[in-house]
Amino acid sequence: MKPKVAFFDFASCEGCQLAVLNCEDILLDLLALVDIVEFREAITGTAPYYDVAFIEGSINREQDAERLRDIRARSAVLVAMGACACIGNVQARSNFIAPAENFKRVYGSEERNQVQSDPEFWPLWAHTRVRAVREVVKVDYELRGCPLVPEEFVHLVKSLVAGTIPRFAAHAVCVECKMHENTCVFDRGDTCMGQITRGGCQAICITNGYRCDGCRGLVPNANMAAHLGLLQSKGLDNREIANRYRLFCSAEPLGRVGRSGHE
Amino acid sequence: MTAFLVSLDAVSAWIRHLACGQTLYFPQQSGQSGLRFLPVDNDSEIRFDGYQPSLAPPGKKLAPAEEPLFRYRVGTDGIPVIQPVLDASPRILAGVRPCDLRGIHLLDQVNQQGHPDPHYLTRRQQTVLIGCDCLTPCDEHCFCDAVGSLRWRENADLFLTRIDGQFLLEVQTEAGQRLVANQNFPACPDLAGLKAHIEAQRAKPFGRQWHADAGRIPGIVASQWSSPVWDKHVERCFSCGTCNLVCPTCYCFDVRDDFQIEDPSAGQRVRHWDGCMLPQFAQVAGGHDFRPAPAARQRHRVKRKFEYLNERCATTSFCTGCGRCGRQCTAGIDIFDIVNDLIDHAEVTP
Repeated sequence: MKPKVAFFDFASCEGCQLAVLNCEDILLDLLALVDIVEFREAITGTAPYYDVAFIEGSINREQDAERLRDIRARSAVLVAMGACACIGNVQARSNFIAPAENFKRVYGSEERNQVQSDPEFWPLWAHTRVRAVREVVKVDYELRGCPLVPEEFVHLVKSLVAGTIPRFAAHAVCVECKMHENTCVFDRGDTCMGQITRGGCQAICITNGYRCDGCRGLVPNANMAAHLGLLQSKGLDNREIANRYRLFCSAEPLGRVGRSGHE
Repeated sequence: MTAFLVSLDAVSAWIRHLACGQTLYFPQQSGQSGLRFLPVDNDSEIRFDGYQPSLAPPGKKLAPAEEPLFRYRVGTDGIPVIQPVLDASPRILAGVRPCDLRGIHLLDQVNQQGHPDPHYLTRRQQTVLIGCDCLTPCDEHCFCDAVGSLRWRENADLFLTRIDGQFLLEVQTEAGQRLVANQNFPACPDLAGLKAHIEAQRAKPFGRQWHADAGRIPGIVASQWSSPVWDKHVERCFSCGTCNLVCPTCYCFDVRDDFQIEDPSAGQRVRHWDGCMLPQFAQVAGGHDFRPAPAARQRHRVKRKFEYLNERCATTSFCTGCGRCGRQCTAGIDIFDIVNDLIDHAEVTP
């Protein structure tokens, strides 16, 4: 029997689900291997049990956490899919600002006060922290990146179907820059997060002329002190550095480097 | 063998001519800064001046970042049929500097030893090397003379030296002879005299020099297992693996198997570069890692270049002094400084 596979989205742009649907040349071969039972971007329908649940998006509200726990309880394998699910992504930057301040910024003082006083509104206060999926439930595999890398998605599905252990890069983006013989971003006069960011993306941004902003999260044991010193030596002030680290890595344990420089 | 004295224009035209018949790699600019060994075509610029070591050494053309080793298909009887993948396409590597010629020589050694590597050796047998001498150090990272690479030219089929606006073109093998046949290059009238003139023109000292006699280095490195030097040089290290992956004598790889999604009974085994500075390099089954600390990985890398492999291959060092690792390290860690620090430390605590 083919494994039952489902896709769920939380706080995200659903771009990772689109990236999956964009694997057009092998999509039909993939569908021959699995049964997709829930996939809001592609089909309607629900199922009671999943062999593999793909979770896209960060967990922002307590009701999202409850829904996630329910999915986890009914899933054999749970995969965090994309930067939102793996490391919180850009929305986790709001974690550095008090909720009341965020409400005021977005909706104004009057609505902020209404959230506090109106019984209908008060559950919104529960939105106090943008969380990665692994902060709420056990995650079996992570497909990192913004968006995910289709080749890694296919590799994971094939491994799960074949019963082999999937392998994902734990090395820095620099490895893939060397494989593509890229000129180092630092030698182009810019600065880069590549040395502390997990590879697996084939250094796509740098290969195409940009730099790495760290969307795949930090490598294990990232040398943050050395990287901070390096960025400072290139003339970046602490506020710029904090912004660079927080763009994608806010929910990472070391994302608070340079905190004092934040506004 | 024969030697010719040829103008720059004639050498450039000849290289273009050779590139018409087969793939010829020559160090070129390609939009981004830095040189790469790229195939020469009609638009290529053949330049010898202002040379800086290419980002990746030319020897990587013999062991690419990723390559299939074999393809397999499991038959109806359950027995897999395995088809090796070997690349026997002829190629020329031109403009290869002495440090990189020696790097290819050292790769030849390790790929012939033990279990010979047919993938490397098949490419190598189809490769012609056109070397090019250096009369001045490429930049402040160079230390090719200190490790005995500067005057290396043994494995070049042809060897070019730019002198007084012309090129001395020395033919060193029959494969090289075939490439200059019918060219009507003028013979070099006084080879011994010209070579003496070339040596007189060569910069002295050439690049960076060790703090001790090079012959002592393997013994010093061996004696410094517990040196504080190892910790000092990894404080800023990102364990990004750049030093391994740009090294002309690093050859470590990992393999993975990949089945075809449309036919799971068939697939291929692929190998790709690996490096001993990468955190998971020494992780084994069960998750144990016998070199978890960056300093232990750094020590291993230095010992591979200055102790282990040169002993195995009976050569002076497995470092070619090209300077790529130090030049491309964003943390500014340089194997030349590490070894000199070890020498200095050994003077104090032998």
